[in-house]
Amino acid sequence: MTEDEHSLLRENIPAYALGALDGDDVPALEAHLKTCEACQAELGTYRAVSDSLLAAVPPRQPSAALRRRLQSQLPSAQKARGPQFTWSFGQFAVGTALVALLFMNVFSFLQMREIQRQQAGLLQQLKTNQFALSMLAYPTTQSFPIAGDNLSGSVLLDRERNTVALVMWHLPELSEEQIYQIWLIEPDGHRVSAGLFRPEADVAYTTQPVYSEQDISSFVGVGVTVEPAGGSDEPTGPRVFKVDF
Amino acid sequence: MTNPDDIELVHRVAQADEKAFLMLYDRYVGRVHGLTLRILGDGMMAEEATQDTFLKLWSRARLYLDERGPLLLWLLTIARRTALDRLRMEARRPMLSDANDPEDSWHVISDLDTLTDESRWRSLYFAVQSLQADHRKVIELAYYQGMSQSEIAEVLSWPLGTVKTRLRDAMKHLRAKWNEE
Repeated sequence: MTEDEHSLLRENIPAYALGALDGDDVPALEAHLKTCEACQAELGTYRAVSDSLLAAVPPRQPSAALRRRLQSQLPSAQKARGPQFTWSFGQFAVGTALVALLFMNVFSFLQMREIQRQQAGLLQQLKTNQFALSMLAYPTTQSFPIAGDNLSGSVLLDRERNTVALVMWHLPELSEEQIYQIWLIEPDGHRVSAGLFRPEADVAYTTQPVYSEQDISSFVGVGVTVEPAGGSDEPTGPRVFKVDF
Repeated sequence: MTNPDDIELVHRVAQADEKAFLMLYDRYVGRVHGLTLRILGDGMMAEEATQDTFLKLWSRARLYLDERGPLLLWLLTIARRTALDRLRMEARRPMLSDANDPEDSWHVISDLDTLTDESRWRSLYFAVQSLQADHRKVIELAYYQGMSQSEIAEVLSWPLGTVKTRLRDAMKHLRAKWNEE
């Protein structure tokens, strides 16, 4: 290599150190640098300058928000946030509507079931009342008064049709663990169970039919006692009333 | 001589120590942001480049080799390339080599004290400011705008030979000032 060629290559070292040497000129200089110690030393001095240019800029503080943004991208912040699920306005609206619809459906279902239950109760009560009224219409029906503490009513007895009906006013309400039990009384005093019943809530009177497999004429009276829920084989609780036929 | 605190911190960052990372951020964010702002000239873009620089520190701390130079030089090298790539993207100019990984261009510098010496970089800053306007312009465009000599000639409408001469003279001047310190 001639001295002129060497000088030409050496003149490119400052631009190379700055990263400004055009790409076409780079390979020749890099090849030369591998073998020329003087040029390597020259490059070292210029690189010290170019590296220093990195720091030859006055420091400037960014906004405080930058630190927070950076911190929010670190693993602990990501973990603290958990899986990210953001709701758009549309998704939020649809979600709210679905929850409201579900709530309304459940509410309607419960309300409908309660209405059906009340209807069934009223229907049963109506049938019972019609039954009692029809009994009263029969000329052979006998009526016996019921008397007790704050209690009144009648026992309707139709011996021909072998039926008995109880119409009771102001029967006290019972707890869940208790129930009223009807007893038909035989001449020797033995009591035969003739059914269980519970008065309807918020209704002043209770009508209860009594059916007997035995001839009703074989009994001399009827009574009602308070028994444990499920009933008893024989009277165990307080008597509500007793009526002799 | 390198700063042992920096080395310890960057090794802790390599092990995902967030506290060490934030300590390095607090220590060097001013220097990094000063450089990105100098290159991009826009506060919002500069903050994004500064953020990218520190995210690269977080993800690439294990690549840092302390025997090759101070951490600040490594960070500023990353910051310069990150900012220049953003500048080139905005101007639709070709990107630098894929060296947001500074391994491509990071080299051993002979005097490792130089960048940690506040007074020396301040002197160089004033040396750049004291250059003749034409000389300073080519240094600015080459180093802080990432332009080649041909690109500078085109932007300034100067002959390529003029750009080469002024750039060479400016670098000689700066080297002389640097060696005076």
